Amino acid sequence: MRADTPHDLSLHRLRKIEIVTRAEDQHLVAGLLQTAGVGGWTMIRDVAGMGHAGFHQGKAIFNDASGLVMFVGVGEPAVIADVAKGLAGLFASLPGVTFLSDVEVLRSDYFARAGSA
Amino acid sequence: MNMMSAIAAPEPTLSRTEVAGLVALAARTVPPLWPLESAIAVNPLAGFEEMPFEAALRHGASLFGARASLPLAQWRALLAEGRIDTRCLRDAAIGHLGGLYRARAVIAPGVTTLDLLMARLLHLPAGDSADAPPLAAPPMPPDAAFIAKWCAAFFDQGLAASPMPYRELGLYRAVLAIAGHDPAFHALAPGAGGQLLMTVAREPLSAIAEGLVALGVADTAAEAHLAALVARLPGWAGHIRWRCEYTDTDIAAGAPASMADLLALWLLLERARALTGAESGAGDQPRDTPPPHDATPQLAAHFGLAELAAHADNNLTRIATMDDNALGALFLTAAEESYANALVPQLQASAPAPAATAKPAAQLVFCIDVRSEPFRRALEATGAYETLGYAGFFGLPIALHRCGAARRQRRLPVLLSPRHDVTEAPLPGQAHTAAHLAAAATRDAQAKRLFAGAKQGIATAFATAEATGPLAGLLMAARTLAPRLTQRISAWVSPSRDAVLGPALGQQPDGYAHSPFILADKIGYASALFRLTGLSAATARLVVLVGHSGSAVNNPYAAALDCGACGGHSGGPNARILAAMLNDTAVREGLAARGIALPASTHFCAAEHNTTTDALMIFDRAAVPASHADDLARLEGDLARAGDANRARRAGLLGRTPQDVLTGALHWGEVRPEWGLAGNAAFLVGPRWWSQAIDLAGRAFLHSYDWRTDEDGTALTTILTAPMVVAQWINCQYLFSCLDNDRYGAGDKTTQNVIGGIGVVQGNGGDLRVGLPRQSLFRDDGTPFHVPQRLLTVVLAPLARVEAVVAANDILARLFGKGWVHLVVVDPTTGRARRWRRDAAPDTEGARPIDITLA
Repeated sequence: MRADTPHDLSLHRLRKIEIVTRAEDQHLVAGLLQTAGVGGWTMIRDVAGMGHAGFHQGKAIFNDASGLVMFVGVGEPAVIADVAKGLAGLFASLPGVTFLSDVEVLRSDYFARAGSA
Repeated sequence: MNMMSAIAAPEPTLSRTEVAGLVALAARTVPPLWPLESAIAVNPLAGFEEMPFEAALRHGASLFGARASLPLAQWRALLAEGRIDTRCLRDAAIGHLGGLYRARAVIAPGVTTLDLLMARLLHLPAGDSADAPPLAAPPMPPDAAFIAKWCAAFFDQGLAASPMPYRELGLYRAVLAIAGHDPAFHALAPGAGGQLLMTVAREPLSAIAEGLVALGVADTAAEAHLAALVARLPGWAGHIRWRCEYTDTDIAAGAPASMADLLALWLLLERARALTGAESGAGDQPRDTPPPHDATPQLAAHFGLAELAAHADNNLTRIATMDDNALGALFLTAAEESYANALVPQLQASAPAPAATAKPAAQLVFCIDVRSEPFRRALEATGAYETLGYAGFFGLPIALHRCGAARRQRRLPVLLSPRHDVTEAPLPGQAHTAAHLAAAATRDAQAKRLFAGAKQGIATAFATAEATGPLAGLLMAARTLAPRLTQRISAWVSPSRDAVLGPALGQQPDGYAHSPFILADKIGYASALFRLTGLSAATARLVVLVGHSGSAVNNPYAAALDCGACGGHSGGPNARILAAMLNDTAVREGLAARGIALPASTHFCAAEHNTTTDALMIFDRAAVPASHADDLARLEGDLARAGDANRARRAGLLGRTPQDVLTGALHWGEVRPEWGLAGNAAFLVGPRWWSQAIDLAGRAFLHSYDWRTDEDGTALTTILTAPMVVAQWINCQYLFSCLDNDRYGAGDKTTQNVIGGIGVVQGNGGDLRVGLPRQSLFRDDGTPFHVPQRLLTVVLAPLARVEAVVAANDILARLFGKGWVHLVVVDPTTGRARRWRRDAAPDTEGARPIDITLA
């Protein structure tokens, strides 16, 4: 899918998924992204914020598995929908939130399904 | 169920991603299992820490077929030894009965409810089979044995004479390719099993999705079904978790395996057995719960009241039908209260800060390990030394590339990933010797490979035995009869590696992307020592950073005696690196800019405490300035005296002489070179002067901390979310390995064999053993040396600060709230102790923590 913009940039419409989860659960989320075929993602460690259980501390010096992490992935709508479906099962028993949105990217080949690029 | 439809690959109802999520959740049933070379303590019920402790204990007992308590006879033995206070047991019984009023309810003339319960706890025979002597483990069911056999072949680390074929396809596909040739598979699934092998999906997640449908497992029950399968071989499943989540990818390269592979195999066997109408193989899980034993007749006989047997009373029935796990839970509470009641008042009394003291002759920073505490106490008794406790990796997230080693070693807590790759290099003036060492190491490795190949070769095995047998016999005789002499000769022939090679801070190993230390890193790691321990910038002339390691020969569990904070390795290299950083002029300037201006006269040394022999070795002596030679000589004399004293103390606990302890460290037949961390019970967070006057008997992890220099609670957050979490893992491993050494522990060490270079099995096959062997926890007569109890964390800090830290960190709220760790906060000014209230516990004061109740 391509979208023209007022600035004559050639942009591609894709879907974005943002996932905030406990750092100790990051392997589960990474595994799902991989299984669904998301070619790559960004992970932001030490995410702080307010939630149902109160304020979550961000930084833990000696423990990568403490606190929250955020994943940001972009892909074809079907791939991102597949991830969301898997996450629905995970987050039925684990804490975590997911945001889905439409995005436009410059280089669609960066976000091709793993193995298909 | 339709056999043909199962063979014809039914349409899955779950997508691959949904199955991946279910597999990931099911994988959490078991904790990761580290290989022998870097054995790390883990909580076998870590996957259930979201549950209250007691519920997790019951759930684990059901899932793994484990006992939830020590046998009653062993609890009574601990009580008889005075390691559990009878008054605390009585209090636990009263609490269980709902308070003193209910406990005093009269059941029969002169007999109260409490009398009945105390009789069951102290006098009556055990009510169920828990007190029966341990039986030989039942044979492993054939389906589990089939999977365990192929796991052992697949995960072999180069020890097998003939490697398993098709490993590059992954565990599931490799077994699929071979199973058709394995009579064991056809015995499990005669006839249709072979057809299934041909038609089943080749991709593990698809095979699981297909298998769940074929077996008629509802989507809502899929996770529980998969979790139960993971629990059937917790050792191999734990090994897979380690490979997937905690190791470098090169270890798994060429033989990929995930939990999906393992579960696809289980479902393959389940489908095959369903097709052939064979019974489920789940014969080893779980142990059935026997019907409740009714002890009413025994109670009647004990109190000489025949009419009691005919007495219909709810309280009587409740007590008479308590199983031994329920009775054991009261002993567990009593053990914890006995310890807390003895320790906390002493810590309250010593809470006020003492008047400033003179500058110490030297300061020594030890690992928080419980084995450091008695050594520190012995050293403090010899002179004006200040000792501190810090995580034994000294805050350095490193992987070490040892000269001649094939793989890097992660020398950091498993909670962290390495951020720096450090290589070794010859020390100044030692290049020639280092070259000799490297050549000798290469020769040794080649000789070992040659010998292993010749020993396993069909044509060469007997000739090798004949040719090398006499020499091997002589060596074995020497190592058996004179192990210390043999070691001295060996040391004379080959120089100490640590005197020739050392970590090189400025040299990065080839091919690794991790950044070397830059100045800002060094300043950061150096300043963390001061921020986290409260060590003052007014340092002594000599500051020694002391790592630790154990000594054991021919012992698969040797790494378990090393430093857990260093990933099951010795702590010396980390100490050497941080000492070098702290002696760096540029780092000193950077520290001064951060307000940590160290005296120019301070020199930092690195050392390693051998916890088996209590010898303490100083590294890099050549770098010690001549001006500090006398300081070092004095200190070394005192260290030797402290080592002698501590070794004598430990020898008493082992029932041996101090000389025999030294021999045991070198003897290939030694099954218990030291008690390790057995007895661990507390984690103290505060300055050393707070606990210095108390004999903690080697049962406490000590992390130095000064609340006055940590206004925002950052240091306390770090201490509680990392070192304390590691301590809790250790504590839980000892606790559960003790409660059921067959299921949560490794069983008898003397009948184990190392398999694949990664773990041990009992006998000649089966599941990898998890946890600790019996010899690490129990004396030779079978009585427990380790008292099973949960960790008691005591923090010297204002309550509000601790509350803020706990509230902001989920992991702490969980550990303290769910009862996995007990937390007591001692106010530094008043000495008042407050105990953290568990979630949903009665709130008598309306505040979250409640006052501790002490006898």
